[in-house]
Order: sequence, then C-alpha cells, then structure tokens
Amino acid sequence: MSESFPIPSSLAGEMIAHCLEGRPNEACGAIATDGHDLVKLFPITNAAASPMRYTFDQDEYKAVSDELWARGWDLGALYHSHTRTEAYPSPTDVRDAREDVPYVIVSLASEPPVIRAFRIVKENWQAPSGDVEEIPVEVTG
Amino acid sequence: MAVTVRIPTVFRKFTGNAATVEVGPGTIADLIDQLEQMHPGFREQMLAEDGQLHRFVNVYVNDEDARYLEKLDTKVAEGDTVSILPSVAGGA
Repeated sequence: MSESFPIPSSLAGEMIAHCLEGRPNEACGAIATDGHDLVKLFPITNAAASPMRYTFDQDEYKAVSDELWARGWDLGALYHSHTRTEAYPSPTDVRDAREDVPYVIVSLASEPPVIRAFRIVKENWQAPSGDVEEIPVEVTG
Repeated sequence: MAVTVRIPTVFRKFTGNAATVEVGPGTIADLIDQLEQMHPGFREQMLAEDGQLHRFVNVYVNDEDARYLEKLDTKVAEGDTVSILPSVAGGA
C-alpha cells in the first residue's frame, strides 16, 4: 500500500513563506486535518530561537490544540525548516519525535525550497532512535 | 458529568485510537490510574522514573498547566477537560 502526503498548494505556500520569514532560525508549526484533508496551517513560535533547533512555544501549541478541538479538527502534521541542511530528519528530529503524525521538513538549503514528509516510527515516544519512512509529498490544487 | 481527557496522537495506540477518554474526577494521579486500568501501558508513557510527570509531557486542566498547579496532586472536577500535550522539538 503506498501512502502519499497530499498538501494543498495554498498551505504549502504559506508554510514555505513562514519558513523563509523565520530565517536565520528554524521555523515550525502544525497543520490541521478535518479527517480527510489538510485544512489549515498554524505557525508556532520557535521557543528555541535557533538556526539548529526548534521547540514549540508550549502556550501557543496548547492554543492551537484548543482550536483544533473546537473546530472538530485534529493534528494532521507537524512541520519545521532546515535552514542549511537537506529536508531529511536529523538524529535530533528522530530522538525528539513525540507525535504520531507525518513530520514535514522544509529545506531552505536550495532554491526553490524543498518539502519532504516522513513518518518517524519508534517503539515508543521516549525511544532515542527509530525508523524514518518517507511519504511522497503531493502538492494539490 | 465525567472528566474528558484529550489524548495526543502519540498515545492513541494505547487507547484503541480514541482521541478522547472519559474518566471520573480526582487528582491527576487518580486519572492516570484510571487510564492505566482502561488502557494498560498508559502510565509509563506519562511518568518519569521518579514517578513525576515526564518533563516532555504537558498536562493541562482546562487552561492551566498542571506543572504550575499541584502537579500530580492537582484536582480535576467533573466537567473539566484534561489535555495531554507532548513537547514538540527537533532540529537540524
């Protein structure tokens, strides 16, 4: 069974714009799903404010979570940028993966930016390592 | 009226994919005991080796972070919503 990661072009555009705005630091955020399609991008402040690390601002993530519940949506994906490296999960990304949704990485190391999506499969969320499975990104409409 | 617990995606493998679970009121420690009874394996996802909430697991009672209340002793009343949210991080 082949899985793909369909993302509307409007959301892909917003995500790239947010990642470019965040330079030189990494940018990050969440993408909501209505159960079928990705429906809204939620940029979240990188509390680490670093070119090499990101940490969701916890209060903002709580507010996003509340909005998802209020609208009957769910967490569909998480995204962050790699400012100087390829769009592939780093060992830190794997170690720190703590949601069971696709992880989208936007690489700004090339022009135009590259979007790739991955499942990070771990025995449990505390495991320091796991398997990385790419999900082909399909930009739609 | 029960307490509604919102389950993060990463813990749903323990809840049969349920995004919410209803439990009875009590302290957060009581709620975790109930969740463990209903869904074995849940407790060790939530707690660190010292028996406290894992530092990468954030628990909110309605809008308040339990870490700034009474942690595991924080009381949860009927009708409250408990949100479990992991810390999200990573980096190149």
